[in-house]
Amino acid sequence: MVISRNYGSYCYPADFMLVAAMNPCPCGYYPDLNRCVCTEAEVRRYQGHISGPVLDRIDLCVEAPPLDIRSLGGREEHRSSREMRGRVETARRAQEKRFAGTGYRFNSEIRVRDMQKYCALGPEEERMLEQFTQRQETSARSYHRLLRTARTIADLEESEEIRRTHLAEALCYRVMDTKYRKGNG
Amino acid sequence: MKRMWKHFEDQAPYAYFMDSVRGVGRKSALALLERFGTPENAWRAPEGELLQALGEKRAETWNRQKKGWDVQAEYEKLQRKGIRFLCCLDPAYPERLQEIPDPPFALYVRGSVPEDRLPSVAVIGARRCSAYGRGLAEKMGRALAAAGVQVVSGLALGVDGISQRAAAEQDGLTFGVLGCGVDICYPPSHQTLYDRLCRRGGLLSEYLPGTQPRPELFPPRNRIISGLADAVVVVEARRRSGTLITVDMALEQGREIYCVPGRVTDRLSEGCNGLIGQGAGIVLSVDDLLEKLRAGCGGRPPEKTDAHAGMNAAMKTDAHAGMSVRERTLWELLDYSPVSVQQLYIQAAAGPGMGQLTLQEVMETLLEFTLQGKAENVSGSYYVKKL
Repeated sequence: MVISRNYGSYCYPADFMLVAAMNPCPCGYYPDLNRCVCTEAEVRRYQGHISGPVLDRIDLCVEAPPLDIRSLGGREEHRSSREMRGRVETARRAQEKRFAGTGYRFNSEIRVRDMQKYCALGPEEERMLEQFTQRQETSARSYHRLLRTARTIADLEESEEIRRTHLAEALCYRVMDTKYRKGNG
Repeated sequence: MKRMWKHFEDQAPYAYFMDSVRGVGRKSALALLERFGTPENAWRAPEGELLQALGEKRAETWNRQKKGWDVQAEYEKLQRKGIRFLCCLDPAYPERLQEIPDPPFALYVRGSVPEDRLPSVAVIGARRCSAYGRGLAEKMGRALAAAGVQVVSGLALGVDGISQRAAAEQDGLTFGVLGCGVDICYPPSHQTLYDRLCRRGGLLSEYLPGTQPRPELFPPRNRIISGLADAVVVVEARRRSGTLITVDMALEQGREIYCVPGRVTDRLSEGCNGLIGQGAGIVLSVDDLLEKLRAGCGGRPPEKTDAHAGMNAAMKTDAHAGMSVRERTLWELLDYSPVSVQQLYIQAAAGPGMGQLTLQEVMETLLEFTLQGKAENVSGSYYVKKL
């Protein structure tokens, strides 16, 4: 990360992965309006603790809905960590292959000028992304981050192209609560 | 009580002074008029008589306020701020308000006041409403405006603001009654709506300009909301909520009450369902409401229009048309209260022929619904159906 001001330029090491968790509101039940006792202003204030620019840099937002206790011991299918590790390794190999000799290692490093080369979309996907950005007021930054995320999802699925479902999944991880951010009631 | 002076404009500045004196409420103001005839005479009243009329304490405040108060200059200051002053004896004061048990002595207005000869309905409800309440508030606002009905509400977050915005977007007349000075936009996030009402429709308050919103100011303003309306429609309300205070006042004023029913498991519908149980009118659809208003509004029935017919139809038409099995399964599982992606996935995968469904496909379908405007993402991975 390079910061340039009139007294000079500094280079800080800032290449890290951020994993964070928070509650949806002070009482923890939002958006279940039957149980949540917070006012709209309280929810907004609470969620506002993460500023927009920070949130903009978070690629995957997932909410963990309350678990039904009965399902804890259930027979539902779960993916094992070993299986997931295997997929991650496959995706990494795909990236190694793709970036051989380019200086890149991961999708997250793809520069804007190389977007077209590595994260090209088909016309249908293009249209979907356009529709989405029109609705969500997406920043240029998050637009590119979206593409990188979709690229990685496609890699996890061992797909050469970014398909509709890959893009859709990436978009779903981005839709944070815009209602409370804009405060339009 | 309707009494007019020949040159009302000359009296207004004095009436404004009377209203600006702390502690001189409607009762004392009317007593003063009873005694002195006009606001100007009250202003010029000899000290002894004033003392008799107001009592020692209030007379003292009166005199303190009077000192240094330039009647004309103060009134002009008000007008320069774009605020209209309407005393209850002004011929332009809304007729409906004259009829209520406790009409405000004066109103401060930006824009205009509801027209006496046009039908007028208050749409009120929870600040934190569900997607169901939001959708209905929007439909109500739009349909009422299309039928030439003036929509009165409190400009609050949730149902109030949503119905008013919808009415304004339909280019209808809508009026916001504030629990603070009329020159203050509360909640601040409704600035756009506030500005819009200044230009078309209006904003009203009985509080002096500059009065900051305080919790105790809101219940009294609710009587003005219902007072300005022929009927009150409640969209969503919890038990023991501010909305129900308005309903109580509306009943006292003899206004019709109509409620949108909800499911018995939804807290946000407890208020409405309870009122229906006590005999309030039930709203079965937007058309049904207009029909009931036409029957119940006496001399001021809403116009018949087709503008909203399409919307009612849309509420019922088969949203399934052209949907794949996957889409239909998920659509059926979506609700007006938020459901999480995982929940939808688990439930949908259990459905017939859905064994192969992946989480990714669920997300894709939900995103499509969102982009088509059929569903909405509420908070991260929660989705609701849009009405």
